[in-house]
Formats: sequence, structure tokens, C-alpha cells
Amino acid sequence: MDLDEFRGALDAWLDDNHDQLRHAGVGTLDGQMEQLSKVKRLTYDAGWMRWGWPEGVGGLGGSPLLRAYLGEALTWRALVEPGLYSMTEVLAPTMIGYARSDLAARMVPRLLRGDETWCQGFSEPGTGSNLASLACRATAGTEGWRVTGQKVWTSLAQYADRCVLLTRTGEPGSAHRGITALFVDMDSPGITVRPIETMHGAPEFSEVFFDDVAVPFDRTLGQEGEGWAVAMDLLPYERSTALWHRAAHLRRRFQDLLDAAPEGALGATEVGEAIQTLYAFRARSRATQHRLDAAERLGPETSIDKVLLATAEQAVYDLVVDGLPGAVTIGDDPISERWRTGFLYSRAATIYGGTAEIQRNIIARRLLDLGADR
Amino acid sequence: MDAGERDLFARGVRRAAGAHTGAALDSALAQLGWPEALAGDPRTAVSVLFELQGATNTTSSSVNHVLLGPLGIDGGVVLPALDRWGPPGVLDGRRLSVCGLGTAVLARLPTTVVVARSAASGDVAGRPITLTVPTAALTLRPVGAVDPALGLLEVSVEDWSIEGAPTPAPEWPAAVARAQLAIGHELVGAARSMLDLARDHARHRVQFGRPIAQFQALRHRLAESLVAIETAAALLEEAWREDSPPASAMAKAVSGRTARTVAGHCQQILAGIGFTTEHPFHRYFRRALVLDQLFGSSRRLTRELGNEVLASRQLPPVLPL
Repeated sequence: MDLDEFRGALDAWLDDNHDQLRHAGVGTLDGQMEQLSKVKRLTYDAGWMRWGWPEGVGGLGGSPLLRAYLGEALTWRALVEPGLYSMTEVLAPTMIGYARSDLAARMVPRLLRGDETWCQGFSEPGTGSNLASLACRATAGTEGWRVTGQKVWTSLAQYADRCVLLTRTGEPGSAHRGITALFVDMDSPGITVRPIETMHGAPEFSEVFFDDVAVPFDRTLGQEGEGWAVAMDLLPYERSTALWHRAAHLRRRFQDLLDAAPEGALGATEVGEAIQTLYAFRARSRATQHRLDAAERLGPETSIDKVLLATAEQAVYDLVVDGLPGAVTIGDDPISERWRTGFLYSRAATIYGGTAEIQRNIIARRLLDLGADR
Repeated sequence: MDAGERDLFARGVRRAAGAHTGAALDSALAQLGWPEALAGDPRTAVSVLFELQGATNTTSSSVNHVLLGPLGIDGGVVLPALDRWGPPGVLDGRRLSVCGLGTAVLARLPTTVVVARSAASGDVAGRPITLTVPTAALTLRPVGAVDPALGLLEVSVEDWSIEGAPTPAPEWPAAVARAQLAIGHELVGAARSMLDLARDHARHRVQFGRPIAQFQALRHRLAESLVAIETAAALLEEAWREDSPPASAMAKAVSGRTARTVAGHCQQILAGIGFTTEHPFHRYFRRALVLDQLFGSSRRLTRELGNEVLASRQLPPVLPL
């Protein structure tokens, strides 16, 4: 199936099934997660969600551009929240690339269909920007791994059935060499999840505690000690298709803002600049989607995409504060609530997925070849 | 052009733009077949030449030909006034006034094309038209000021009585769009060179016992510069695909802002040496200032975009993935 054919047929299907797909209007995270599962199930059962994924994991094959367009269409129509929806774009390629093929074949369809939610256990209390310093320990026993330690900022952990978990299997000081990635069932005995109250009101992140949790050896992703490669391969996905979906979402919200802002509330120069930033990000991300389609290996240049996304997201929501002042500051109605959540969440765009400073460090070292910074 | 031809063409243009500037570059480009390339494959001809012109700090009259292309005319043409993209002339009855700019080629040609707006009432009011005038009727002032090496002319005349009938020029916005892309590429080329100079300096200049490239404050300025350059480059690509005046204006606005942002970061990194004429940086700095103001400055184009969107309450269209 080619992209134009896919686009035409999908758009028609989305129009026809609008009533069934549309958001029931529940603004809570529980409501959004329910909506997400519903949309994934309907689009999977109708085939759309399976395009762009390999046949070995329940896909129908075809270009990853089809996935990019599906996510664009769903976020543009406000049927899903892009941050929740796009986690598939990060987790499924990791399983396809590193899990044993029978495991990937069994598990990935459950993620795509929305039957399951997965999370990603990377950050720890002492391990934020310096990921290679992680300490959550996995020890090889006779029957499998035993995991003990703590993760934090684990998105959707309280909903998750599985977790792609980075653990320390080498010596404590072994940095990026001694990390192993595991695929863990979240209902395993010894796992405790504590959601974190956040500034934007949705308890999207959790702390996750592992107390001598058993994980079979056949749940190892890649080889023992190969966890750094798993993480590094996953990050460019986080900065490609997922960002394309986010661009569509931002364009939607920008148009909503133009529809709602009263006369005189927005400044021409600020609006012009925000549009330029958003459209530049979209142009950059579009080129990245086509490189992914051409099977090019994505690398540190996607840090530029991430910097642009963060700049665009904050530029758009900065307009919201002044353009719809009451919505962010004093409105208690559901529409104001949604603007406020979006604005507050946009403040994290320069923090999550590698801070703005980490992205600039990557650009300096890897793209400008400035050498180590110490 | 296919990939091989494009490569060969780019190599020829690179040699020419590296070795010549001004009238000498014009004749080298004529010999290379650049004008024919402009007609046949404008995207390649414009992007290759102007990016190099910016990168090597050379100049030619090529933007003259880029502007004329969509108008379907040959010769010399008056460019819009500084920071403007509208026609440089106003026709009131039979009297023409011009306030614009030009490239050096104007001084070598007996006649010049002026695009003007008609001040008359009726259906022609405000619509662009073209007139051909004897170059001798125009006042051509060679521009020195901040960047004398650019070879720009200031072109003016007041109340000159025209002969012959003007022709409608509905292609003017398309012609301006092309020229904006050309100058956008030139700005990006200049920005890339400024970044190269600053990067090179940061890697070799030693203070406190280490190359200053190791200091994060400087690394982040260089990283910011690359982000700005790739931002403009992405919009230029998109504007060629889209081929519309609004997309070109957006790409030009961002290219101008990019070059000025990069100039600021790089000047700070080059510090003392970059402030002298012993170092080439100042030439790029000067060029970026002037180029930003050709065919609309970043500032004016951005405000105009905002005004249009606030009036229509519609985001500009996007091309599909």
C-alpha cells in the first residue's frame, strides 16, 4: 500500500467511523488511557494500525511513513493524546530489534492493538541526564535474573503490563558497558508502583520499586551487557515518528488557539515567529520520516529535531498564556483545563527525553566534532 | 538534471564562485551555462550557486536573473527597495517614480525593466506592470556603506515620463518568491561559513590550558548555531517543494534570522580576532546584515505573516507527508 492510497482510505474510514472513535470527553488520565485503548483496538482490527510494521509481529508490512501518517491523522483529529499514543513508536521497534523473535511475535500485537500498555524503565533517582550511571541491579541466578532497585519518571507504569527495563549487570562502575535490557512483566511479585503527582495535574509518571523480582533469562533484550545499544537505538525513534505525531498535535492546538483567541489578544510578530518555528520543525521532521523510510540509520542528528520540537512546543503554548489568559490562570471549565494542562506540560518539553542541554551536548560532540567537554 | 549532471554542475559552480566575484563571476557563470540551468532546473541552479556565493562571500548579478525568470524577460531589472518585496516603481498616469536596488549588471545594459504598481483607479490599480526604460534615465548610486564588496546599486528616478504601454506582470509574486529563496540560500551559506570559522577557532584557541571548545558555554553557542542553520535549510527545502510565495517568504524570514543569530554567536566565540579585518569573519557579518534586508527582512516578513494569519484566523496550509 502506498502512502497516498493509505491516506485517502484512512481519512475516509476515520470520517465514516467518527462517532465510534471520538473521545467521550473524559479529561482525566484514566479517560485518556481508555480512549487510547479503544482507538488502538478499532484501528488495529480495521488493519490501519498494522501497516508499517513487519509481518513477523502481526503487521502488514509497508513503509513506516504509513505509521507516521496514522499518528498524524489521529492526533490532528484529537482522537488520541500524542504523548501516550506515540510510546508504541519507541517500544515496538525495540522489541523487534532485540527480543527473541517468538517473544516479539507474541507480545508486539498486544501493544499495537492496545490490549496492553508498556512502559520504559530508564531513569533513576540518581540517574537523570547521565543514563550510563544507572544502578538498578540484575543478578544472574540459576533460574533467571533477580532485579532489585528503583526507577523514576516511568511513564504510565501504573497502567503497564510490561516494562522495557535497563539494569546494571556489570560492576558498579562499568558505566555503559555493564547495562542489560530486560522485558519484565509488571505483575511479577516484588514490583511496587507509586504514581507521582505532577505540575500539569496528570499522574503520568511513576516511581517503580523492584524488590528481588524474578525475570527469566529468555526475557533478555539483546545480549547481556548490550543494554546501552538497546537504549541508544531506541532514542532516535523517540525523536522521529513520535515527534511527527507531536507536530500534528501542535498544529491542531495552534489552530484551536486561533479559533478561540479574542481580537487583539495575540501579537503579530509572536504569532509569525511561532508559526515559523512550528513549520520549520515539521519540515525537519518530515525529512527525518523519509530517511527512516529509506532505511537510513538515524543518529545524533535527531537531537536537532528534539531541540526544534521543544522550541516549537513552548513557542505555541507561550502564545496560549497571553492569547487565552483566563484559560490558563483562572478557568475551571474542562476547555480551560485542557489548555492549562497543555501549557504546563509544554514546560517539560525541554526536560523529557534528554534535556535541551543534553541535546546541545550531543550536537556539539557528535555533529560539530568539538571533542569531549572535559 | 540527474544526480551526475547536478554533481558536475555543482563542481563547476564551486570552482567559479571560489575563484571569481562580481563581473568576472557573471562571465564565468555564463560560460558554465548557469543561465540555461536556471531556466531548465531552477532549484538546482539557485540552491547550488547562492549557497556557494554565501559560503565564499562572493557576489554576482545572478539574483537579477532569478527575479526575471518567472517574468519571462531578459536583461536587467530593478530589485525591490530595502526591506520591501513589492514592485519598486509607482506609475501615476504616464509618470514613473522608482525607488529600488539593483545589481551591477544594470550599469552595463542600455535598458532596464521596472516593475511598478499603477496608482490609477480602476481595475489596474495596485496591479504590477512592467515597463522598459533607458538605463540612462535612472539614477544609479553604487552602495558602499556596510558591505561595499556586495556591489549593490541604489536605483531611483522621480516623475519620469514613460513612452509605450506597460504590460501586466501577474508573475511578480512568483518572481519575488524565487529571489527570496535565492537570498535565503545565500544567507544559509554565509551562516555555515561563519560557523566553520568559529568552530575552527574554538578547537585551536587555547586558554586556561585547554582548547576553548571544551567550555560548555561556547559549545552550546555553536550547537545553537547549527540548529538555526538546519532550521532554515529545512524550510528552504520545503519551500522548493511547495513553490508558493508564502512558503518562500517564511524560508527567507527564517534564513535571515538564522544568519543574524549565527553571526552573534560566532562573533562572541571569535572574540577579539573576529572584530578585526585580519580575520575573514567581518565580511560574512556585513553580508548577512544586508542580505537579511533584501526582499523583506526577517522582522518585517515575520510580522506580515502574523498579521495575515490573525486576519484569516487560519494557519498556512501544509503539504502532506
